[in-house]
Amino acid sequence: MGVITDKLPGVLEPVPGGQVLLTAVDQLINWSRSNSLWPLTFGTSCCAIEMMMATGAARHDMARFGAEVARPSPRQADLLVIAGTIVKRMAPRLRTLYEQMAEPRYVMATGSCAICGGPFMYDSYTTIRGADEVIPVDVYVPGCPPRPEAFFYGLLTLQKMIREGESIRHPGERRRPVLAALPEGMTLDDIRKEMQDLLSHDANVKMVDELAEGAHFSAELKDF
Amino acid sequence: MSVNVSTLQARISGESTASSPLSTEEYFVNMGPQHPSTHGVLRLVLRLDGETVRDVVPVLGYIHRGIEKMGEHGNYRQFVHLVDRMDYLAALSNNWAVTMVVEKAAKMETTDRIQAIRTLVCELQRIQSHQLWWGVFGMDLGGFTPFFYGLRDREQLCDIFEKTIGARLTMNYIQPGGVMYDIHPDFVKDVKTFLAYFKSKLPEYDTLMSENVIIQERLRGIGKLSAERALALGATGPVLRASGVAHDLRKSEPYGLYSQVDFDVPVGTTGDCWDRYWVRMEEMRQSIRIVEQLIDNIPEGKTFMVKPAAKIKVPAGVHYSHMETPRGVLGVVLVSDGKESPYRIHCRTPNFNNLWCIGEMATGGRIGDLVAMLSSIDLVIPDIDR
Repeated sequence: MGVITDKLPGVLEPVPGGQVLLTAVDQLINWSRSNSLWPLTFGTSCCAIEMMMATGAARHDMARFGAEVARPSPRQADLLVIAGTIVKRMAPRLRTLYEQMAEPRYVMATGSCAICGGPFMYDSYTTIRGADEVIPVDVYVPGCPPRPEAFFYGLLTLQKMIREGESIRHPGERRRPVLAALPEGMTLDDIRKEMQDLLSHDANVKMVDELAEGAHFSAELKDF
Repeated sequence: MSVNVSTLQARISGESTASSPLSTEEYFVNMGPQHPSTHGVLRLVLRLDGETVRDVVPVLGYIHRGIEKMGEHGNYRQFVHLVDRMDYLAALSNNWAVTMVVEKAAKMETTDRIQAIRTLVCELQRIQSHQLWWGVFGMDLGGFTPFFYGLRDREQLCDIFEKTIGARLTMNYIQPGGVMYDIHPDFVKDVKTFLAYFKSKLPEYDTLMSENVIIQERLRGIGKLSAERALALGATGPVLRASGVAHDLRKSEPYGLYSQVDFDVPVGTTGDCWDRYWVRMEEMRQSIRIVEQLIDNIPEGKTFMVKPAAKIKVPAGVHYSHMETPRGVLGVVLVSDGKESPYRIHCRTPNFNNLWCIGEMATGGRIGDLVAMLSSIDLVIPDIDR
């Protein structure tokens, strides 16, 4: 068992029903893990640009969801976002990067290339048909490339997975990988609203109505 | 084009060429393929003597997807969407390059409206591409603010493209025979709003970086590339123009509606990193000029000349066409045997040739300047490996 379980029982043992406290610690750990994901900047092709737009750019700004600090070194990261095609020559490097990351580590496969080879599934002699042939993947985010909103949906799904996931009694136990495809009939406005609702729980965040603020630039997607 | 592999091996593992008595033992540093400043999965082998760079040898193939070979299996319209993924920051230019060679070979007719739309969206994407480069360049030099500025303005263009094209990055819009959809009714209004907005933001870019004495001191005089060497290495685009060669296919072999618009080709003098920076900043202003001249004069007409399911056949023979993307000359060689799919298709991509200038620029320089040089070339790695 980890450091926390080794040290905590001293505190917990005298308490009758320490079980309850331990569960609370589980929740606390999982909550803090889910809200402090450090993504590795691993972009091989097009999806990397949309990942940049999602993580760094001002409009989408992933820092709102606690995945702010993108790290170029795998030793400092715990979320590997596979953004782009993986070819045969890159596959051993991807495996090395994954092995270098510290536990607990999570993997998001964004874009059809990382899921199944995407447009390069047929007739390509180099492409790996899906990054899950090389490393275990937790969340799949479809799209070619996925919009920043879809990227967020995948991230929120991963956070939910982490919160409900492994406990300190059973480390390493994970939920089955999920496909974070947008549910049928869900529009981008719905995601934006969901994200706003999520953020409005936090009293420190002052919500600005995006549509009112930049009215002439906001994409009115309902036209389509 | 063939690369002499044995020469490259010798360059990596060769004997010390240093003659100075002060030089020390040479050593190698491996940069990439996982490195934040190589903008993808480029790998460089650096031969160093202390802090002095003796040689830089790029090692390729980490994102080679076999796009050219895949093109032989589908028809011409299927190949267009593959080149989106080659230089994804200039997907429309890539679409147009393939479209141009097919239309030229198959003698397909287009209307002025099609050409005007193509020219407009490509120029808008040139601005978009340079915005991203500017942001990332600032980040590579150690400042994070340019990244926010550049990507903030890039989002506005993404919105415009999304309304008309339906995609933010991989467009697949310009097809042999026309463009996929007519422009959105709001297109003209949105572009004008954007231009007014961006023209007020460009001085901000200058205040933040161009007029910043730290940036100027950082960039001036490093990574020099002479005009002769740039030409010999096949560099094109802003890299060549920064070295003082006014080569721009939009001027010398006008396609689209470029012959009808008035714009300048910015040219540098010394070919150092600052010149490459300045040429791109000027190109953004020239692109704004081009868009301003065209946006009110989009002619009426059809936007797609053939039926969507029409089978395109190209007469047998070798066809070639090239155009100016934001990074340089993209040439497409098409060998046809008269069937629906190409016999062989090859893309002469700008980034491949521009990449090999890094050895010329960095040799003799300091390792600390290498990232600035690399970033000033503005590389897109899948365009190199294809």
